[in-house]
Amino acid sequence: MLTAILCALALGYAVLRVAIGYPDPRRHYHRLGRGEVALISSAAEAMYPAGGPIPSSGLDADLPDYLERLMTASRLQTRILLHLLFFLVEHGTLLFPTPGRGGMRRFSSQDIEQRVAALDGWAESTLFVRRLVFTSLRAVLTMGYFAYPPVVRRLGLAPLAIESPICEADLLYPRIGEKPESIGMTAADLTPPSEGIPLPQDGPLHPGFAEPGA
Amino acid sequence: MEPGQLRVFAQYDRDLTLEADAVVVGSGPAGAVVAKELTDAGKSVVLVEEGPPFVPAEYEFDGGLSMARTMREGGLRTTSGTVMPTMQAVALGGGSLVNSAICNRAPAFILDRWCSDFELERTTRADLDPHYEAVAKFLGIAVTPENVLGRRNLLFRDGCDALGYHCEPMYRNVRGCRGSGECFTGCRSRAKQSMDISYIPAALRGGARVLTSVRIERVLAERWRATGVAGRVVTPFTGRPSHQVRIHAKLVVLAAGCTATPVLLQKSGNLANRSGQVGENLQFHPGVAIMGIFPELVNPRFGATQGYQSRHFLREGFKLETLWAPPAITAVRLPGSGMALKNRLADIPYSAIWDGIAVCNRSIGRVRVRRRSMDPILSWKLHPADVSVLAQALWVLSQIFFAAGARTIVPGVHGIAPELHSLEEAEVLRDRPIRATDLVLAGNHVFCTTRMHGDARLGVVDEMGRCHDFENLYIADTGIFPQCPAVNPMWTGMALAHRSAQQIAQQI
Repeated sequence: MLTAILCALALGYAVLRVAIGYPDPRRHYHRLGRGEVALISSAAEAMYPAGGPIPSSGLDADLPDYLERLMTASRLQTRILLHLLFFLVEHGTLLFPTPGRGGMRRFSSQDIEQRVAALDGWAESTLFVRRLVFTSLRAVLTMGYFAYPPVVRRLGLAPLAIESPICEADLLYPRIGEKPESIGMTAADLTPPSEGIPLPQDGPLHPGFAEPGA
Repeated sequence: MEPGQLRVFAQYDRDLTLEADAVVVGSGPAGAVVAKELTDAGKSVVLVEEGPPFVPAEYEFDGGLSMARTMREGGLRTTSGTVMPTMQAVALGGGSLVNSAICNRAPAFILDRWCSDFELERTTRADLDPHYEAVAKFLGIAVTPENVLGRRNLLFRDGCDALGYHCEPMYRNVRGCRGSGECFTGCRSRAKQSMDISYIPAALRGGARVLTSVRIERVLAERWRATGVAGRVVTPFTGRPSHQVRIHAKLVVLAAGCTATPVLLQKSGNLANRSGQVGENLQFHPGVAIMGIFPELVNPRFGATQGYQSRHFLREGFKLETLWAPPAITAVRLPGSGMALKNRLADIPYSAIWDGIAVCNRSIGRVRVRRRSMDPILSWKLHPADVSVLAQALWVLSQIFFAAGARTIVPGVHGIAPELHSLEEAEVLRDRPIRATDLVLAGNHVFCTTRMHGDARLGVVDEMGRCHDFENLYIADTGIFPQCPAVNPMWTGMALAHRSAQQIAQQI
């Protein structure tokens, strides 16, 4: 009887911890659950706070949106790994509590100082697997942060506009998912190959990274 | 399907059966060379590639999305044992679409060792040089011009020169480089001569038929003869299978890559494996890297992705080179979180990354099949002696950085301070014992899983790439290397493929 009660309590706590109490996200996500959106946002805020030499924060960069795109572009196996990663970080505080009051609460429920401390704990752990989890989380968050144009513009790392020469291959290969009839170019459209002129570093940025209205 | 045609995913509407003199599985550097050379010799060829063709409009600047689209397992493949990421492209042109075009001939002393240790008779530098030359002529392999090297490559030269370490600009299969530094996500300048814009169009002109988005799942064989291959059409990116494809051929060439070819053989009933060597002997060139921060603006966005190298320490077991990756991938190397991390990100415009790859013949692993998947299970263990080699590479890199004027280096080694500010501080890299798990490793040069050996009991193929067990089954990827070659392997793989193609053309 006692065992049954304990199991019921544990199950109730697990449901409460995993599924209850997350805020509604700003938009609907197909690939991410509410808890994952909360985890990603809170981790992004801790990893990339506002201010400093790059004004944009992780929240500005809308990392849940980036992760949604990344997961949509990924195969099932990768998506499973990413879900597992988010779960480990969100609930890893049970195994590795953050110092201070409420250190075993969900990662996304902790205040920002605790979250930074939790991330540092993962990063500096003597356990290789724990460091690996941190490195993986930081990798996906960093890729999302750098996909936000103001960040790479600020660092002078935004890709420059390059007009690709039209070569023989461009007459052979359609866009992925389309048929060759969609190519719409002929040999008459071929342009001279690159002459190896270095890219002017003050040239215009790729349209996807240019300042709005530039 | 007519000679000279290419088929993409949207064109498959039914099962497909083809016949040819030769079917080549895999359109990476080796497979593309074989396909082109055989069509030049007047043979009918079908070249099969699992990935789709990418045009510049499909290139992603973002490292994560780019890897998710162009790499198997979304770029998240790792070894077990010693955990190390390792990537394999899935795209027309294979790895050449997303590599940095480095071309090195295997050193003569390495090839001599291959000959003596693996009972090979015709694989010295003198034997391979004509094939290196043929590939170089076609691709325009040339030294990287000074005007597109950029500061981060030239700083490496300065550092090496100051220390008296021999170094040189890279030879690359590039024509008209503009220094965009975008080799890893696809060259928008169309300067890199990846297979999709060089050998494959030439093969198509010669009459080859090219099937993209087809995953070969089985080599067909009767008794001791290969009769063709069978597989399925797969949806780009999701890999969802649909129509069946069967290609009957007089001769089969497997160039699916060092990790995919052994899986294919094992899934085909453990084919060509009387030696028991299929999938064994897995070797890598594991790499480590250091980021250096300089007092002046480096502007690392500009310059050939990997434009300079030093082979000064090749006999000690490592090679050094410059490196640039999409900014997000570069940033992943930086330690810490919060404002400390943001402050370090602000240093990227002042930074350069240089890496060392190690000759790790002692670190051996194996490739095994995964149930209900064509993806491999890779187990591999970094030998302690090879950890020492990598630690030595880190120490030498730190010397070069400080000799070039770096104010700080970020070694990325667990247990060592995240930033080191002088050569004296960097001595910890030389003096402190380092374990494999302390290092941030990557290994994208993969070898030896179907190795060549003069003795059929000890290798899968002979030195022409022909399987010992099957006279009409060839392997033409880096799996046939008997040991890791100490330098970037693409050119050597292509030279060996060029040589195999000449023999195949005579055989069929």
